[in-house]
Amino acid sequence: MPDPVLSLKNATLSLDGNAGRVDILHGITLDVTAGETLGMIGPSGSGKSSLLMLMGGLERASGGQITALGNDLTAMSEDALARFRRDHMGVVFQSFHLIPTMTALENVATPLELAGVGDAFDRAAAELDAVGLGHRSGHYPSQMSGGEQQRVALARAVAPRPEILLADEPTGNLDGANGAAIIDLLFDLRDRHGATLVLVTHARSLADKCDRTVRLEDGRIADPMRAAAE
Amino acid sequence: MSLRISARFAARELRGGLKGFRIFIACLALGVAAIAAVGTVRSSIEAGLAREGAALLGGDAELDFTYRFATEEERTWMNEVAMAVSEIVDFRSMAVVNRNGTTERGLTQIKAVDGFYPLVGNVELSPDIPLQTALADLQDLPGAVMERVLIDRLGLSIGDTFRLGTQDFRLSAELVNEPDSAGGGFGLGPRTLVLTDSLANSSLLASGTLFNSKYRLNLPANNDIEAVEATARNRFENSGLRWTDARNGAPGISQFVDRLGAFLVLVGLSGLAVGGVGVSSAVRSYLAEKTSVIATLRTLGAERATIFQTYFLQIGILSLVGITLGLILGAVLPIALAPIIEARLPIPSAFAIYPVPLAEAAIYGVLTAFIFTLWPLARAEDVRAATLFRDALGSTRLLPAAKYLAMIALGLIALIGLAAWFSGTWRLTLWTAGGIAGALCLLALSSFLIRWLSRRGGRASKGIPVLRWALAAISGNREGAAPVVLSLGLGLSVLAAVGQVDGNLRNAISGNLPDIAPSYFFVDIQRDQMDGYTDRLQSDPAVSRIDSAPMLRGIITKINGQPARDVAGAHWVLEGDRGVTYSTELPDNTRLTDGTWWAKDYSGDPLISFASEEAEEMGLKLGDTMTINILGRDITGTIASFREVDFSTAGIGFILSMNPGALEGAPHSFISTVYAEEGAEAQILRDLASAYPNITAIRVRDAIDRASEVLAGLAAATSYGAGATLLTGFLVLMGAAAAGSQARTYEAAVLKTLGATRRSILISFALRAALLGVAAGIVALAAGIGGGWAVSYFIMETNFSIIWPSALGIVVGGAVATLLASLAFAWPPLAARPAQVLRARE
Repeated sequence: MPDPVLSLKNATLSLDGNAGRVDILHGITLDVTAGETLGMIGPSGSGKSSLLMLMGGLERASGGQITALGNDLTAMSEDALARFRRDHMGVVFQSFHLIPTMTALENVATPLELAGVGDAFDRAAAELDAVGLGHRSGHYPSQMSGGEQQRVALARAVAPRPEILLADEPTGNLDGANGAAIIDLLFDLRDRHGATLVLVTHARSLADKCDRTVRLEDGRIADPMRAAAE
Repeated sequence: MSLRISARFAARELRGGLKGFRIFIACLALGVAAIAAVGTVRSSIEAGLAREGAALLGGDAELDFTYRFATEEERTWMNEVAMAVSEIVDFRSMAVVNRNGTTERGLTQIKAVDGFYPLVGNVELSPDIPLQTALADLQDLPGAVMERVLIDRLGLSIGDTFRLGTQDFRLSAELVNEPDSAGGGFGLGPRTLVLTDSLANSSLLASGTLFNSKYRLNLPANNDIEAVEATARNRFENSGLRWTDARNGAPGISQFVDRLGAFLVLVGLSGLAVGGVGVSSAVRSYLAEKTSVIATLRTLGAERATIFQTYFLQIGILSLVGITLGLILGAVLPIALAPIIEARLPIPSAFAIYPVPLAEAAIYGVLTAFIFTLWPLARAEDVRAATLFRDALGSTRLLPAAKYLAMIALGLIALIGLAAWFSGTWRLTLWTAGGIAGALCLLALSSFLIRWLSRRGGRASKGIPVLRWALAAISGNREGAAPVVLSLGLGLSVLAAVGQVDGNLRNAISGNLPDIAPSYFFVDIQRDQMDGYTDRLQSDPAVSRIDSAPMLRGIITKINGQPARDVAGAHWVLEGDRGVTYSTELPDNTRLTDGTWWAKDYSGDPLISFASEEAEEMGLKLGDTMTINILGRDITGTIASFREVDFSTAGIGFILSMNPGALEGAPHSFISTVYAEEGAEAQILRDLASAYPNITAIRVRDAIDRASEVLAGLAAATSYGAGATLLTGFLVLMGAAAAGSQARTYEAAVLKTLGATRRSILISFALRAALLGVAAGIVALAAGIGGGWAVSYFIMETNFSIIWPSALGIVVGGAVATLLASLAFAWPPLAARPAQVLRARE
């Protein structure tokens, strides 16, 4: 069996809030192999987004071990995690999180610029073309529809050619038609670049597109529903 | 690499325009403008004084002697080095007019001149006739010119006769302007100009009379003024010479302008500190809005340094915009207002753009922006990517990293150090910095207390929903309690402190003193006039006390054989000449603090009794020797005792007293203070002035009025500075109100949904603003009263009492200011339809 790209061993997440300490995730153990597409589903508050953030080093685990591409994320500093994401990961959010003062092209170029890529803008333009928005490169997020914004976000996530692609309910803020188009695009980009994809979604139909699905309930993996693609 | 990317990101962020930064820029611009304007006015006056140095002085150089004319040797030297020499005699006297059996008297500062006066510049008279013509004899009466205020006071017309001493003069013109008027310093009476020769029969310049003789020199064009000065000092300094030259023609004014300017710059710095609170608050709000952008950049791989640099550069550029606007305003405004300022200034000025004060203001602006923005900026880099999906939990720590705290501390040290260096006064700078820091700490603590009290009050105010909403908003920090209390509070604190110091000073000068101060000072009483003078007063039941003392004037030249300034530095006692007296016995109401008074029959070497407080400041001890130059003669005595001298009662107080044998032989006159009922003052003056025309009476009430006028000018200048501080505070207030507008809109929408009327919501908004304003006012009042007390007690050494009208004005002003700022932003929340607001929030 190949080495997992992402590996969580007994990972826990607890946070201190105004109402006291809240346990979000309890002893998650999960491996994701290279090139795999993994769907994570579960009801609201089950911890699926938090688990995705742990995988991306966006959230720090309270316990257990998380490795990505052989690197122990729990031992890294905030800056080391940022550099790791820059070099190896792409993240897509439900709320797009485009930078409002940057054009579509600049948004896509940002991770490339951060990585010191010389032809950042040429590559960003190519990525925008790939998502069908080459003609909107000079537009700001506020001038684009939700679907267009998410396509820019997708282009931004895949532009540095990450080995791991994390998507947190990418269709959550879109209508059915736009949502379907984005999912097609996401899988198409993933297929084209060969990245490992972890997708958080509410929709069973979307999860079914993945090689494997895990269901979360109350911060625990309820049952591995499908071990592999049919 | 990181910096280049940060610069690119910062440039993109700046595309958002100045929205959200207007208050930020205005705060910096106003603070910098106030300091730049004060500096520009100061430089303009200094440039004017330098340009007009010779005219102000009345020549290229001046040799000033107290109490005597120049000796033959001194005159010969002056004639050798100068192309022209003009002699001026300056003293106080009484101008007397007899008209229809009544006598009018007015104190006047006489300037007796020779035929060469003025060596530089022109005297302006009305009617426009040459000065020498105006002063010449006409029908056996010498001519004189007088300032309008004295002409009116005495009811004179051109051509009328008046008397100085025992000599009649004819008023031939009004003195409109004398070129050297600014160099003369603080005069108690309006000016009268006569020829010195005309005073020969006036008995005013008798031996022992208090006068100054000044010799103005016109030096050859290629003279080396430093060398001439050195020669003069070497040859004549020990004979009581004081040297001034055109390089600094009005040293007193120059020093006054410099000190007042330094003080006003420090007041301006407190304005910048208030602006700093606004700047910090604006950056905090801005970065709060940018949290998701920062978190997104973190997600995409931006390191902490990239985030910090991006926003540091952006805020830096915006700071430069604010500082540049402030510099333009501060440079242009004084030039635009130059005609008005020049018309009010009694001294020359040269309004232009001066780089030094602008650089000073710019440095203050940069450092203030750095200090106040670094804290929120440093916390921006702590924003984690997880903030994107989890708002509040574990986002940032309370304090920024230690390196940023160290940088803030370094910035503060640099700011205080530079302020001290620019102002030239460490003590005042540290007092100001301590005062601002103390007030800020007190106000920060108060804002916590206000929120805590509001929380408690909120629970207790059930049944009064509008009050409960208001208290809940304050306790929940939705109204930005901290920036409002800090900025408005600091502005009001400065104004309160100025109000308290000013009021107490006025009280000290005009309120308290007349109870214990004498009615008149009489000077230049000749020794043979003393008996008759004393008899007249002692026989008057309205006179409660007469103090008289012999009066000479001398310059302390050496201490223990060394030049006095080398030993005691630039102490005020060494500046110019001081009154010296002698006495057989220790005067009543005088207490020795150390040493012993000389025996009644002491006839040995000269002994000195010195004022104890000044002695301590100068580092003097018993047994030290001191050389005093009196009438060109050096007298060296030994300090035998120290005694308390209270200058605050306006009575006679001499720094230096000697045994009679040391001074009795020198020509001198007497000084006397008379304590009398106010109703008897006029008759006393009439009787004494008629019997002894040579003596000069100075009415203490008039002198106090004159001092109060000067003080009023100072208080006005300071109030303008404090006003700029308050205006900045108001800007910050507007910023806080604007920043809270969105939260208020949402709150109003929810309240309306629940059935609240616009009226009740408006009352709640007004209540919360007024409560915060009153709270800020009360804290500011406490800080201002504390500051005012400290200045009165430690610096002015006067009694302190709270000036209530000013104090209450501060509290009411605080409430009104916050109310206005809040109401300015009240309409949008009231007008918004709940559905729109609530839908947008989902």
